[in-house]
Amino acid sequence: MKVFSLFFCLVLLASFLACKKDELVIKPYVEEETWGFKIPSTFPQPDYKFENNEQTRLRFELGRLLFYDPILSLNNTISCASCHAQEHGFADHNVAMSTGINGVQTTRNAPSLSNLAWYPNFMWDGGVNHLEVQPLVPLTNPLEMGESILGILSKLNASSFYKNKFKEAYDVDVITDQKLLQAIAQYTSMLISANTKYDQYIAGKVDFTTSEKNGLTLFRNNCVACHTEPLFTDFSYRNIGLDTISEDLGRELITQNPTDRRKFKVPSLRNVAITYPYMHDGRYFTLSILLDRHINGALDTESTDPFLLSVSPLSPTEKLEIIEFLKTLTDFYLIGDPQFSQP
Amino acid sequence: MKSNIFIFSIFLGLFLSVSTSCKKKTTEPTLEPTPLAVEKGIVTIDLSHKWGFTNQTDFVLGTDLIHPMTNDTLNFTTFKYYVSNFKFKKADGTWYTQPESYFLVDLSTPSSLVLTIPDVPVGDYTDVYYTMGVDSTRNVSGAQTGALAASNLMFWNWNSGYVFLKAEGTSVNSSTGTFQFHLGGFSGANNLLTEKYINFSNNSLTVSANHTSTAFLQVNPGWLWHSAPSVSVLNMIHMPGTDAATMALGFYTNNSIILDHIVE
Ligand code: HEC
Ligand code: HEC
Repeated sequence: MKVFSLFFCLVLLASFLACKKDELVIKPYVEEETWGFKIPSTFPQPDYKFENNEQTRLRFELGRLLFYDPILSLNNTISCASCHAQEHGFADHNVAMSTGINGVQTTRNAPSLSNLAWYPNFMWDGGVNHLEVQPLVPLTNPLEMGESILGILSKLNASSFYKNKFKEAYDVDVITDQKLLQAIAQYTSMLISANTKYDQYIAGKVDFTTSEKNGLTLFRNNCVACHTEPLFTDFSYRNIGLDTISEDLGRELITQNPTDRRKFKVPSLRNVAITYPYMHDGRYFTLSILLDRHINGALDTESTDPFLLSVSPLSPTEKLEIIEFLKTLTDFYLIGDPQFSQP
Repeated sequence: MKSNIFIFSIFLGLFLSVSTSCKKKTTEPTLEPTPLAVEKGIVTIDLSHKWGFTNQTDFVLGTDLIHPMTNDTLNFTTFKYYVSNFKFKKADGTWYTQPESYFLVDLSTPSSLVLTIPDVPVGDYTDVYYTMGVDSTRNVSGAQTGALAASNLMFWNWNSGYVFLKAEGTSVNSSTGTFQFHLGGFSGANNLLTEKYINFSNNSLTVSANHTSTAFLQVNPGWLWHSAPSVSVLNMIHMPGTDAATMALGFYTNNSIILDHIVE
């Protein structure tokens, strides 16, 4: 009996040793092993998957150069960063409308940029369906950078600097629009905000003040139906009853469905305290006035979201507490991170 | 005692043989029969564009063409459209599907009027299937290359999606003197994607090794106005919707592309 159990153990051990060896994978040493796109533990799976555009540091650095380079605009004066400034949470410099080439103004407020890899659609009306094709709009819009794709490609291909950079990053001899757009996406997809005071509080690393805690409770009762955690948007389109006269029809421009009239994408509230003025047209300059109109005074238009019409008004104290909470969404890591700043 | 050592050495032997067994399995090369090389040929689709129902003339950019149904005089500056996803069907029901099968036919670029499909397995094909437009996947998959590159200016930036067909030009019948039709739409009620096919009937298309077989097709852009009104009523379309559907489907679903002859 003893002999048999010994035999059995030996055979088990033997097969274990034998097979384990085969599964052993030796990882190559990677420099800066911590750098790269990582999904924060509280976040869902991202929409952008780096398909046909595998992430590398060289590609990211190229995207960063492009984001800051006015060469992409018609008269070489405006870069992406002109309207999306890091110190402003990648929104514009606290102006309602942005100024494009030749001093022309945009018709909408430049949103702050963060967690773009999780966005299913882009722009206030959701008309753009993929992170890589989003830059086509500002690059070619006469109110923004006003260039043509062919114009940009001929400028880049005439630059030995960029030809070398694209060669290094993508191993191409000729710069194509696909590689240009993919490089920009390497940069924009990395603008991740997941380390605000709010995130640290959720992770149990810091504590909230009493008003911040009350603000979070109020926020969860009144706001998360649209500004859903942890991205602070559910990416739906809603008419929040701002007015019945403004010309911008929002989502209806894309769907041509009158029930989508003046619906706009629910914006993320990350970095909201520093990205005033607010709303798609930058109409409110303070969070206090915004809450008066957004929560306490939504107009009953045909397509106003019913939630906002039924929600009970916020008291002055409640407003202050919500604002205290919104301030915990400022991401000092993102707006200070040197890897995203002007190269 | 002796017998114990004897038994033990048997176990030791077993232990050693088992412990090397797994490793052995993976290092031993597996012998697979070398796959028979499939012989392949080339198919080209040669498109010639015609105008008119009876008394057909060549469809040429920059010439005045009178539409037989609307009586509009149309002078085209641009005529471009996507065809995609070529599939070849054999009599036995098997298919060959071309990977990365996207073509932008552009009347101002003669080389784009001959579509080349390399690597078609040899055999007799009864039908060729293809799609008018660009499949929905490629409309939502980010920056593309080749025929689908944004630099071909066939992509709507502000409302992402491909323009499947562009027809532009001048007309005395239009109030603005011009017409500009950008047709597309890949989802929901606005979906224009249409699969068409060319049937070679008794006369199948034979593909032989290292040889080019050509199907000559005639395309008639006049079908755009099969259900759509005169340019005096509608001279511009710039987004997916009912107008785009009416116009595109006239061209997509009818007899607008027909087989002329084949050369093998
Ligand atoms: C002239 C100012 C301006 C410039 C330059 C500019 N943008 Fe924007 N950006 C805007 C405005 C305004 C919007 C909102 C547009 C809309 O909703 O119609 C926007 C929207 C966006 C969005 C969508 C965000 C969201 O919440 O959906 C992204 C991403 C973006 N821009 C990235 C870029 C990149 C990349 C560049 C450079 C290629 C760039 N922008 C250049 C003003 C600008
Ligand atoms: C029914 C959905 C909904 C609810 C509930 C809701 N919001 Fe909004 N919120 C929106 C939409 C949509 C916008 C953008 C509207 C526009 O620009 O026209 C917006 C805009 C904002 C903005 C401006 C952001 C920016 O960058 O411009 C802030 C701040 C804001 N909401 C805070 C809140 C707070 C705080 C609450 C809860 C007290 C709340 N919202 C409840 C839908 C909602």
